[in-house]
Amino acid sequence: MAPKFYHDDPVWADIDPLPQDDGGLHPLAAINYTDEYSEAMGYLRAVMANNEFSKRILELTEHVISLNPAHYTVWLYRAKTLFEINAPLRDEIEWLNPTALKHLKNYQIWHHRQTVIEALGSPDGEADFIDSMLEHDSKNYHVWSYRQWLVKRFDLFEGKGELEWTEQMVEQDLRNNSAWNHRWFLVIGGRDGRALDEETFKREMDFAKRLVRKAPQNQSSWNYLRGLARHANSTSALKDFALEFADLSRPDEIHSSHALDLLADILATEEDQKEEARQALDLLATRYDPIRAYYWNYRKGLLEQPGAVA
Amino acid sequence: MPVRVSLRARHRNMRMKKMAAPKSSSAEAPSAEALSSRLEELPVGSDRIEELSDTENEYEDIGTITQAEQAHIDYLESVTIPIRDEPETESSKAQREAFEDIRPFLEGNPNDFPLNIFGLPKLQREKHAAFLKSALGDYPSKFAPMDAARPWLLYWSLQGLTALGCDISEYREQVTHTFSMAAYPTGGYGGGYGQYPHLAATYAAVLSLTIVGGTDAYESINRRAMWHFLGQMKQPDGGFTMAPGGEEDIRGAYCGLVVLSLLNLPLSLPPDAPARKHGLTTFLDKLGAWVSSCQTFEGGLSAAPGNEAHGAYAFCGLACLSIMGPPKATLPKHIDLPRLIHWMSYRQCAPEGGYNGRTNKLVDGCYSHWIGGCWALAEAATGRALWNRPALGRYILAAAQFEDGGLVDKPGKRPDGYHSCYNIAGLSHVQHNYVYDEAESGAGSVLLDAPWRWKTQGRYQGDVLWGEDDVVGQVHPIFVTPWGAAEECRKYFEAKEGF
Repeated sequence: MAPKFYHDDPVWADIDPLPQDDGGLHPLAAINYTDEYSEAMGYLRAVMANNEFSKRILELTEHVISLNPAHYTVWLYRAKTLFEINAPLRDEIEWLNPTALKHLKNYQIWHHRQTVIEALGSPDGEADFIDSMLEHDSKNYHVWSYRQWLVKRFDLFEGKGELEWTEQMVEQDLRNNSAWNHRWFLVIGGRDGRALDEETFKREMDFAKRLVRKAPQNQSSWNYLRGLARHANSTSALKDFALEFADLSRPDEIHSSHALDLLADILATEEDQKEEARQALDLLATRYDPIRAYYWNYRKGLLEQPGAVA
Repeated sequence: MPVRVSLRARHRNMRMKKMAAPKSSSAEAPSAEALSSRLEELPVGSDRIEELSDTENEYEDIGTITQAEQAHIDYLESVTIPIRDEPETESSKAQREAFEDIRPFLEGNPNDFPLNIFGLPKLQREKHAAFLKSALGDYPSKFAPMDAARPWLLYWSLQGLTALGCDISEYREQVTHTFSMAAYPTGGYGGGYGQYPHLAATYAAVLSLTIVGGTDAYESINRRAMWHFLGQMKQPDGGFTMAPGGEEDIRGAYCGLVVLSLLNLPLSLPPDAPARKHGLTTFLDKLGAWVSSCQTFEGGLSAAPGNEAHGAYAFCGLACLSIMGPPKATLPKHIDLPRLIHWMSYRQCAPEGGYNGRTNKLVDGCYSHWIGGCWALAEAATGRALWNRPALGRYILAAAQFEDGGLVDKPGKRPDGYHSCYNIAGLSHVQHNYVYDEAESGAGSVLLDAPWRWKTQGRYQGDVLWGEDDVVGQVHPIFVTPWGAAEECRKYFEAKEGF
């Protein structure tokens, strides 16, 4: 694309650009901007100083964003402009979609999107767009965080297919921890402390157990399972399940270090099982997860302290 | 001596001497992990990725295995979890492939670095220093996407250089000047001239000025305006936004408190702070509870309530709480510490020894600091040794040093200031001990004085894998600045009357 300039554009003839001020001394980490970038930024600084909000600001900011999508100032000023001039927000989303796909790792774009969708007051089309982003990067932190905001803002917790979608994401890659976290958000985390009913609890336990059985060494499913049990104060009820994968009487046949870890926690709370808990932690420290030996030994130390459980 | 092929069929006769070029092309954004998810704001180094020659097929027979290599191979086997992680999915495939790229560096010495007496590559101090110095110089035009992250470029280089033992006083005047151009008239710092103030830029600016130190650097900060800017960032729910109209996340809570504490600013909110309309009167109001709400079911901390637990955000949260008061008091008060420690422990990758940032993600050298830096705080709260320092030291020395200088996420990636700074900080966390001392009051003030009660306590005395040449400087556990620099800054402002 040919560079775009403003100095010979009659639409911008009224503006005196504010050039970059380096104050005489050569700054550190200075960037040798292209003439195009320098000039566009000069015009942007000038209109910002004038507090100008107009349609041409949308063109200018779009141009600067195309040159530097990580420029938070431009995004914030663009958002202000959109609202000041009552710009059609659907158009903004239409423009944002390809822009976001072009700059997958961009930080600012998601906050901007959230601001616009908030004002639009409708989540229509957002799920599809998020899907296309996750296809490129299934663990993108900002995409998932945005999705959580969307669920909360538009109350998509139930009956809107969100749980089914999340399940599909987990099934697709049962180690995608972002998908597990989203499921937690839907079922518990996003609900502001509302109690979990028994039926849902059972459904979630069954779900997590099924996926643990599918991949017993997967940290994500164990974390979810343990989180659920802790939430319901029923960690000790997982003992038989943990034993399926880690039976201390058969120390050569441990199928999951996570099961051993959980078992140690449960045994630590039981009467007269401290020795077994120590045995589980020893197996972890010496055989099944030795890189964390310092941690397992710390846990062994806690066994001596009444009431202290990790 | 056995020939390599007889030992390891997978080496096929030969062994890759050089890493294959990064799988991504140079056009792709940098640190594959969203820069997003880190403290940084920008695709740092994105365009810095120059084409590596295509070494995909460049194998070189390097002969028999040395004794040191055999010891490394045995070690790796000893810390590998002996359970097969099946079935394969996108995540486990990525993990397997990444490890195949990393393994040659943990077993051997593909960069041909000189080795220390433990058979690990020596710290390439001069090469890293040269890399970080060049990162303070001019950038070609294609680096325009870094325009808003220039404060970070300065901080990463200055912090990395001082930890390497370099004298950075020659930069003092230029650092002060560079930030005077990025100061926003109504308070705080932006990425550069004319840019809105932003808490990440402000954090990097204040830390950089702290590192170079001196009256001119300190006096260049408009503290009264800064106090007002921070007042604008404080939110009714207790957290901080990063910029006016910007996102609220746990980086804001950490960066905001760092600035308040270093500059000895009043803890009361300025009269014009919007949060006052909601009944808040100080910067600390509702803050502990807000950080607490970022702890997830996994035990780690997230960017904001409901998001996924993440290493960089965990450090921000713990450091924020450790500014609010003694870690022994503030951490257990606001965090379920056993669950946090459980999660932190699991971030250490086996057998790599480096850390990842989230469950089932890949090892990345930057978490040498983000998780590595959490340990001093957690150990101050528990009084126990909790983590495997030698394993992290091994990853940094063996796998995170780039052949031509600078440090990396993992072998096959290009170095940048971000990964250099935080790998070096991680090495410092591995090598030095710090204790929180109730009796110690370095700067002698009453408010937000917890960060000043840390003491250095010699070197780590466990299984060291580094020689004297590989030791880097001490780093303040909260501010991530050279030991002593933050104290100087605070003392300077304590001695001043008012603003």
